[in-house]
Amino acid sequence: MRKDLVFGMAGSGGDGIVSAGDSLLQAAAAEGYHGVMTKSFGSQIRGGESSCRVRISTTPILNPGGNLDVAVALNWDDFLKFGAELPVSGNTVVIYEAATGIPENQIPLVGVTPLQVIAVPIAAMAKETAGTERAKNTVVLGLIAGWFGIGAVAVMKGIRKKLAKKGEELVEANQRAFDAGRAFAMEHPLKTSMNVVASETKGQVKLITDGNDMCAAAAIFAGCQFFGGYPITPSTEIMQFFTEHVWKYGGAVLQAEDEIAGIGAAVGASFAGKKAMTATSGPGLSLKSEMMGLASIAELPLVIVDVQRGGPSTGLPTKTEQSDLFAAAFSAHGDVIRPVLAPTSVADTFRITVEAFNIAEFYQTPVIVLSDQEIASRKETLDPIDTSQFKIINRLQPVGSDLQDYKRFKQTENHISPISHPGMLGGTYLASGIEHVESGAPTNSGSVHQRMNDKRTKKFDPLKDRKDLFEVLGDPNAPIAMIAWGSVAGVCREALEMAKEQGLNVKLLVPYLLYPVAEGVYNDFFRSVQKGLVIEQTHLAQTFKLLRMHIDLPKGMKSLARSGANPFLPSEIVVALNHLLSELQRSHEGNLQPQE
Amino acid sequence: MAIQGIDFASLSLMDALDLAILVEDEAKERYEEFAAQMEQHRTPEAARFFHFMAANEAKHGMELAVRRTERFGTEPRNVSQAMIFDVEAPDYDAARAFMSPRQAMQAALASEVKAHGFFVAALPALKDPDVRALFEELRNEEIEHQELVQIELAKLGPDSGLSDEDFVDEPAAQ
Amino acid sequence: MSATCEFQAKDYKSDLKPIWCPGCGDFSVVQGVYRALAAIGRPPHEIAFVSGIGCSSRIPGYTTAYGFNSVHGRALPIAQGIKLANPDLLVLAAGGDGDGFSIGGGHIAHLIRRNIDITYIVMDNQIYGLTKGQLSPTSQKGRVTCTSKFGSLEEPVNPLLYVLAYGAGFVAQASPTDLVGMAAIIEEAIRYPGFAFVNIQSPCVTYGEEAQQIKGLKAISESLASLGHDTADRLAAMNLAQHYGSKMHLGVFYRNPEPAPTYDGLVRERQALLSKDALPKERILDLFIKK
Repeated sequence: MRKDLVFGMAGSGGDGIVSAGDSLLQAAAAEGYHGVMTKSFGSQIRGGESSCRVRISTTPILNPGGNLDVAVALNWDDFLKFGAELPVSGNTVVIYEAATGIPENQIPLVGVTPLQVIAVPIAAMAKETAGTERAKNTVVLGLIAGWFGIGAVAVMKGIRKKLAKKGEELVEANQRAFDAGRAFAMEHPLKTSMNVVASETKGQVKLITDGNDMCAAAAIFAGCQFFGGYPITPSTEIMQFFTEHVWKYGGAVLQAEDEIAGIGAAVGASFAGKKAMTATSGPGLSLKSEMMGLASIAELPLVIVDVQRGGPSTGLPTKTEQSDLFAAAFSAHGDVIRPVLAPTSVADTFRITVEAFNIAEFYQTPVIVLSDQEIASRKETLDPIDTSQFKIINRLQPVGSDLQDYKRFKQTENHISPISHPGMLGGTYLASGIEHVESGAPTNSGSVHQRMNDKRTKKFDPLKDRKDLFEVLGDPNAPIAMIAWGSVAGVCREALEMAKEQGLNVKLLVPYLLYPVAEGVYNDFFRSVQKGLVIEQTHLAQTFKLLRMHIDLPKGMKSLARSGANPFLPSEIVVALNHLLSELQRSHEGNLQPQE
Repeated sequence: MAIQGIDFASLSLMDALDLAILVEDEAKERYEEFAAQMEQHRTPEAARFFHFMAANEAKHGMELAVRRTERFGTEPRNVSQAMIFDVEAPDYDAARAFMSPRQAMQAALASEVKAHGFFVAALPALKDPDVRALFEELRNEEIEHQELVQIELAKLGPDSGLSDEDFVDEPAAQ
Repeated sequence: MSATCEFQAKDYKSDLKPIWCPGCGDFSVVQGVYRALAAIGRPPHEIAFVSGIGCSSRIPGYTTAYGFNSVHGRALPIAQGIKLANPDLLVLAAGGDGDGFSIGGGHIAHLIRRNIDITYIVMDNQIYGLTKGQLSPTSQKGRVTCTSKFGSLEEPVNPLLYVLAYGAGFVAQASPTDLVGMAAIIEEAIRYPGFAFVNIQSPCVTYGEEAQQIKGLKAISESLASLGHDTADRLAAMNLAQHYGSKMHLGVFYRNPEPAPTYDGLVRERQALLSKDALPKERILDLFIKK
């Protein structure tokens, strides 16, 4: 019996493999399992290759897993296009379409002998039972229910619900296809049983959503009442969520004429006193950078979500990467500190988005939420979140005495000045991108500029003491360390568990606050560290370099960095950690050798 | 110069007085505005002159206001600022950074001539003898004003023919 | 101006001293704005006045309203965000011809089609003044400037025809040659329920050509009212607008006799309609429950 299974399925868009993944995840949730699902597509709008990974576990999981336990190929051309996104190992059961005509001992996977290979006449079964090959995905779900024990009841319950409006005939056709798949599995048992044990939490309420929807919902919870944006993959679903829901909370959403107008409207809404947000991906972030600078100097709260994809330019619009880190931290002319936060999963996207609004409001600043394509579009099952544990912070408004001779940019002890908004009697001022004195009046005085730069940068000092925006996992005194953020952090969490099982003494630092760099937190973390890795999906090792810019890293800290799209596997990280360990042991041995 | 919504033929003395006060007020405000522009743009001599003109217009306006109150008390006004534009006030584009006192005075002189022209042009249409008398008086005062400016101009001595513009720096790009 | 008016023009004038060159047309424009706001009578704190970058974009700071002197070309995006965030505000946007028709030229079409209730004042001086006299989008073809040493090779934009063609509900032109008329036009534009555009020929005294100074403008100015123009006739307005650059028509070119609903108004309706059966914010995650 298994506690954890990773499925990887690929086909052409017409095969409905992604909707099969959705059904599987929902069925798993209904049966009380934890699950994560990621999707990956080719570059065509319709009819290109598509794939999904679904990971199901009896315990909470924070990444889509490494090597596949089960690979489903509806055709090999499409499957192979995903390369390292769907890694097959010697422990994988490979299920594929018999109509491909490829014998089981000749499947086109180079350098690997899977645990078992099974050709299934999926298309023929679909045609025979449902009258159309389009029901292939339902046959696959039947096979999965039969071989792995997931969704025997729940899958069809979900399909029934989804198709109810379209008529009983369609539901019945699907039922027959599902039953045929399940029967085939029963008739052809696996060499090694891979049934998943029943979940203990069956019957408990589970949520299912992706990072984008979670981000938008969190924003509305945090009090966001305005969204301005422009469609860009893979962030658009955030705007879509707003167009459906924000009105209900007295807010508005504007699909603007371009990226600049989108953030511009959000800047305007914030000036008008409302919590505001925009979302984009790499190319849009570049376009928005002038407005972000304006929000910084005008000290206006604003949340900008950047769902990273492969860059530069159009890059890989449907694949994940972490290479916007420099842009998020530094894309500004002038001296600017702009907080950058990063969630590591769909679940913590809620907390991080709420935190982003709180920081934006408290410090009167734009804040970037650096999400990534994987988190944004992967679906997770979640336990219900108790929203009452989250504090909501609103901007400091002027009262009574502040409004006598109101000074919008008044120097205060913590560098934060009460902020008025149009409609507030006594609070009128000039907001501007030009340097200004305390009242807001424009100036070109060098000494005022120096003082105002001080105000606008020093106000962030307390943020660097926010230890709660960092997580340390593993033995705090471990000599070997990992640092990872965003979706890569999830992979490293799992690598940490695997390393511990192998007896390695490793710890992991997950920063949710990437910028400003909290030197103190890192220095504390490094105290015990002799060797370590900064693990990231950027070609230029941006995270490693950002840290090195601010901190004297221990000599043994190295970079493990590569371009996006191809995910890190927990197993390869463990290999790298083992390598560090042997280096460490060699150097210790060297120290012990008597001098000649 | 513009006047709108006023029928000179039926203009009452009170309205004529109020109109004259508005004309003086407009000129005073414009001169003050010019003075502020000159101060802001490092042209202090012209600023002093425009202050001087503003004070003159204010004084004249006050005299008219006293007469109006003596005669008509606090009776509400029928004419408004929106009915006049640039009667005695110099045109907005008459001001220049670094304008010399001579240029400032010439600008003022041009507006006094303009105002004189206004009263001259209005006279034939006036029916009410009291209003007519007032307009004749105002017309004559504009001539006195011109003389006042001429005296100031004379104090400057002969024109060197040099323009301050020829000595100043280029404008600064922002 | 009614006698019961609570506010006077001076109530909208701030203490900041304009940086404009003496003789600049913008001095008159800001007076026109003060007068129009006084006529409307909204208290300054209920007004948001947004601009981009340029000499004329300094204008919000010279009023007592909530001002926002933003970045080049982006007055309109910010103004629409303000209006949608709080439709109760009176929102004005202003800037120069470069701000509105060059770097920010992409925005106006969209504010017009959305019909957001904002008044947009362009101080058109056919030149880049703040950067010292470069060619602007409304400079005449052949104009010699420091970036067109042998004369410009391109036709100017026609702002009036442009906004009429996009379908703006209120289009007018004013000039410092008639301050009273300008104030009345700005007032009417603000009162128009929807996007309103006012082009103001505001001469640059430092880099402008002689023909575009007040005297030159007076010589080519013609009031639309005196021509008997019907402000409800959009095609006639477009015909007249074609004379931009050779004649200066002052007054209202077009006023939609049946103003369309505004975007901000529709937003309010939608909010009212949908807020009735909303989940409390604290329970928004219930949307993701799968049973």
